[in-house]
Amino acid sequence: MASSSAAGAGSTDPTAARRNNTKRPKYSKFTQQELPACKPILTPRAVISAFLLVSVVFVPIGVAALIASRKVVEIVYRYESKCIPPNVTDKVAYIQSSADKTCKFSLHVEKHMKSPIYVYYQLDNFYQNHRRYVKSRSDEQLRDPGEEDSTSACKPEDTANGKAIVPCGLIAWSLFNDTYSFSRDNHNLTVNKKGISWKSDREHKFGKNVFPKNFQNSSIKGGASLNESIPLSEQEDLIVWMRTAALPTFRKLYGKIEVDLNEGDSINVTLQNKYNTYSFNGRKKLVLSTTSWLGGKNDFLGIAYLTVGGLCFFLALAFTIVYFVKPRQLGDPTYLSWNRNPGGH
Amino acid sequence: MVKKGARKITLSIGDGANDVSMIQAAHVGIGISGMEGMQAVMASDFAIAQFRYLADLLLVHGRWSYLRICKVVIYFFYKNLTFTLTQFWFTFQTGFSGQRFYDDWFQSLYNVIFTALPVIIVGLFDKDVSSSLSKKYPELYMEGIKNVFFKWKVVAIWAFFSVYQSLIFFYFVSTTNLRKIFGLWDVSTMAFTCVVITVNLRLLMICNSITRWHYISVGGSILAWFIFIFIYSGISTPYDRQENIYFVIYVLMSTFYFYIMLLLVPAAALFCDFVYQGVQRWFFPYDYQIIQEMHRDEVDNTGRAQLLEVGNQLTPAEARSYAISQLPRELSKHTGFAFDSPGYESFFAAQLGVYAPPKAWDVARRASMRSKPKIGHKK
Repeated sequence: MASSSAAGAGSTDPTAARRNNTKRPKYSKFTQQELPACKPILTPRAVISAFLLVSVVFVPIGVAALIASRKVVEIVYRYESKCIPPNVTDKVAYIQSSADKTCKFSLHVEKHMKSPIYVYYQLDNFYQNHRRYVKSRSDEQLRDPGEEDSTSACKPEDTANGKAIVPCGLIAWSLFNDTYSFSRDNHNLTVNKKGISWKSDREHKFGKNVFPKNFQNSSIKGGASLNESIPLSEQEDLIVWMRTAALPTFRKLYGKIEVDLNEGDSINVTLQNKYNTYSFNGRKKLVLSTTSWLGGKNDFLGIAYLTVGGLCFFLALAFTIVYFVKPRQLGDPTYLSWNRNPGGH
Repeated sequence: MVKKGARKITLSIGDGANDVSMIQAAHVGIGISGMEGMQAVMASDFAIAQFRYLADLLLVHGRWSYLRICKVVIYFFYKNLTFTLTQFWFTFQTGFSGQRFYDDWFQSLYNVIFTALPVIIVGLFDKDVSSSLSKKYPELYMEGIKNVFFKWKVVAIWAFFSVYQSLIFFYFVSTTNLRKIFGLWDVSTMAFTCVVITVNLRLLMICNSITRWHYISVGGSILAWFIFIFIYSGISTPYDRQENIYFVIYVLMSTFYFYIMLLLVPAAALFCDFVYQGVQRWFFPYDYQIIQEMHRDEVDNTGRAQLLEVGNQLTPAEARSYAISQLPRELSKHTGFAFDSPGYESFFAAQLGVYAPPKAWDVARRASMRSKPKIGHKK
């Protein structure tokens, strides 16, 4: 008698179990697709409970985030146009000249600010995320004094006068060089400039025995100069600057003020307006800000949470109303398409 | 005629050598392996053992295959579209200079490690209704014929939600970073984490049946991402020309911001899909969804133990004919050949223990079948 081989279709044939020399493949739940499975059905009850759960979780978090953000006190002062003397018409020429660029103004503290108070400089319309700019650095050079000459990615700022520039590249070359000093009631407020960069950068990315060399020696100076006797791992302004920002509007940490500022204080700021943002209509701002557990002032997170939580709550209500107004029996066969229009599809 | 004139997809089934050309001419050819030999099987696209398995092949496995392929293809397009569009919105912020948003390794491994396995598992195991229900409601097969799951409308809706999700990913992550001192690579690592988690969770939302392999693969993919980024951020080799991602994830994970974003962004991104699924299921249900609801309380009849209890599964008519077939009976002498056939003599001769030599013309015909599978001429 011919024995049949069960090939292709995976269903089992009960009569074959009785035959002796069957070629049926070995049974396993995996290959026969009979694994135990959870078959979730999105019933209205599940939808409404999911929305309620999300809103119950999100609304309190949103409120907490918004409160934290509102507690942060922030002073922002835009100074790139205010710090140009009134009789100057050509701003670019002014900024490139060697005139005295000291600028003084005072900031008024509206609310009590607890220390540490972070001092940031904010630049607008400065594309640190431009492809040629981001590419233009040499991490091997920054780490290792022996790799001084690996400057190929750094063009055009790779060599000056035939010798390699350390640190090379456009990012380092355009280092921000405005400086700020603060005083209150004729007492100087010290700005702590240690510990403003990432610890991992200081310890691993920027070498302890790599010193700046040949820096800003070409015909065009792009920004600050570096002290050649301080190793790169201690040049924290450079380290902070070299962490390229994601968006064209960004803030970078300048330093920390470690005393409280009281409400009503008047802080006198003396800044050196050296950095040229006038060639590309960039804007410069000085920011003093406290922090919360969530970071700086950021209403967006709190508002986003509240929006999502609120929308979920509203939808839970809407679904409940619709469920009562237009009910559909779960598993009602009259909704099957062949029952709804019999004969025609 | 049906194939060219009526423009339908045709299926033909046969078991003998005379069926071979019919099997080859149809779109889907099915051969039955058995008494007539293996010619039909060799020429066919699918081979089954008995004619009645055709119902299973079409209504159960064919239908499931259609469903699975639709899901896999659409999901593949969706996950790549989301991932790429998130990067696309970034180009507007870079002065259109072409700076990449994600690190090279993220982009290369996205489709290979972080999102590959779950969709394979769905393609293997997804079932909308069980096999017995598929046979009980053969009208479900019309979903495939009408191409319900892969119409332009369906693709457009997935694409729309993909655009929405990519906007959420990019703008939520970048605007909340405005006041922070995170750089480009930190922002992109955060965004990529959100993309991987959301895309994997979205897969669970489209599953009709979730086995433990689904959980393992989805959880495993997300875990693989974290393991990868921990390792990648932790090492710095001489081969990294640009150490973009060094230590990024550790710094990110030390902030509250990271966890808050990780809770918010996938929820906000999947929110619209969830609403859409709820509304679709309630107001415009597919047939298989109604059937799922109708039979939601039934215990799923899988498992080997139940298959041996034949009596429980057959209708009374089937049980009777099965019982009758078990009785000793005479084998029919009909072989399907009108005239003298080679199988006739040798088959029945073997039954009686008599040796009948094969006919010469039959041997020659079988030998020539290997190179030119044409119907043998009947003499």
